[in-house]
Amino acid sequence: MTKEELAAYIQEKYGEKLTPLESGRYDLLYEVSKDNLLDVAQSLKDDENLQFDFLCNLLGADTKEHFEVIYNIASIYKNLRLDLKVILPYDAAEIESVQKIWPAANWYEREMWEMYGIEVKNHNDLKLLLLPDDWDQGFPMRKDWDAPDFVRLPEVD
Amino acid sequence: MGELRTEEFIVNMGPHHPSTHGVCRLVLTMDGEKIVKIEPVIGYLHRAIEKICENRTYMQCIPLLDRFEYVTAMSCNYVFSLAAERLAQIEVPERAEYLRVIMLELNRIASHLLFYGVTAMDIGAYTPFLYGLRERELIIDLFEMTCGQRLTYNYIRIGGVSRDIPKEFIPKCREALKIISGKMSDYEGLLNENPIWLERTKGIAVLPKELAIAYGVSGPVLRASGVQYDIRKNDPYSIYDRFDFEIPVRYNGDCYDRYLLRLDEIRQSIKIITQALDGLPDGDIKSKKSKMTFKAPAGEVYARIENSRGEMGVYLMSDGGKTPLRVKTRGASYNHVQVLPHFGTDMLIADLVANFATLDVIMPEVDR
Repeated sequence: MTKEELAAYIQEKYGEKLTPLESGRYDLLYEVSKDNLLDVAQSLKDDENLQFDFLCNLLGADTKEHFEVIYNIASIYKNLRLDLKVILPYDAAEIESVQKIWPAANWYEREMWEMYGIEVKNHNDLKLLLLPDDWDQGFPMRKDWDAPDFVRLPEVD
Repeated sequence: MGELRTEEFIVNMGPHHPSTHGVCRLVLTMDGEKIVKIEPVIGYLHRAIEKICENRTYMQCIPLLDRFEYVTAMSCNYVFSLAAERLAQIEVPERAEYLRVIMLELNRIASHLLFYGVTAMDIGAYTPFLYGLRERELIIDLFEMTCGQRLTYNYIRIGGVSRDIPKEFIPKCREALKIISGKMSDYEGLLNENPIWLERTKGIAVLPKELAIAYGVSGPVLRASGVQYDIRKNDPYSIYDRFDFEIPVRYNGDCYDRYLLRLDEIRQSIKIITQALDGLPDGDIKSKKSKMTFKAPAGEVYARIENSRGEMGVYLMSDGGKTPLRVKTRGASYNHVQVLPHFGTDMLIADLVANFATLDVIMPEVDR
């Protein structure tokens, strides 16, 4: 399946739940709503023609307007790649865990939780991963967070 | 006499254990000599590379990402450049692409030779360590000759490479490849039939392929479990589709197969480099857009490459500014440590050492 065929297939079968995003550059990027995430992820994995069984990467991001959670998934047997994005407003930073679908999400979700403060629901082991055990200085990857001894470079052209 | 009182106890392995290749702490629950539960504790090497990248220009990120996975720093340079090139849609000159492939594959051989040495040393054989590092030195010398650095190269830049190879590079490279392919039988002769080695690795720590895929395991570990998946073939980048090489695959998924598979890969890499040296064209080594003031247009992309350990990826988000909006690095070792608790409980500590060594984990890639 080429990228165009995949885009057409997804448009036809999942068009209601997945909205293509212009900002994706190389692979296809779709926006999915928080409520549909688990449904869509499960059916992308179970679909005979897609079999997205491999979670390459999972990340949170802070765009200064809202949080984003991005899932980079691949299909080993069908040789496909796809990105999913969930947009979360700052005041409702909460998402379902996809561990049941892709067990690899475990540590990625823990990292996202400790670095951004995005709450992960139904995660089986939500505790600090990279940060020290006695960490109490907030969520370091947020854009409004600076370390106490952090020196920002002056603006130069 | 009453029954013997038995209870589970905890062994704390690491963070400064020589076989954890850095600072990984494994909390082991033991029942006698058998491991009941493994709990990896990571984060000792967390240097906040992703956060620092958000405050650096694109070109400044490259030497920083050298430290992300220092054994194959070329791949780190390359994967970030690839992401930035995809965002800015930069065409890279032909010669630069060939040089990149040569460097990436040389780095893969160097990494696998290091693997050969340290794995054998972890399991108790000292000679392979000397053999592996002796030949790795030849490759490191080639890198030093090209970019002045032996470990963190900062050689592959956005839009090309930093400088051309010196005149004596090609003959020296051919000579090094000849020496390494000649020594392959020595490496295999030392370990492949060695009864102690077989006892320690064959059938030990078997990773079934369903489990491997579920936990995002990639690279040689995945291929040793019988899944023929290599990003160089399955999602080709650079000019890998022009070369004739095979993806070795093995089916038992144990420590022995993981070890053999990496030796197979050295042979394939030698094949690729030889073809690249033969076909190396003249021309520019940098695109005109390769400047220190490089800015990527707004957008986002996930670039992934086949590193010597598995899938290495960078998710790069840009809002059009001087600095990236978000840089997320993905290292194969992250998933390889994550899958450790799921190997099953029929393992001794000595088997865990063999397992950890053949997963070829490198901790800076896990903690970033």
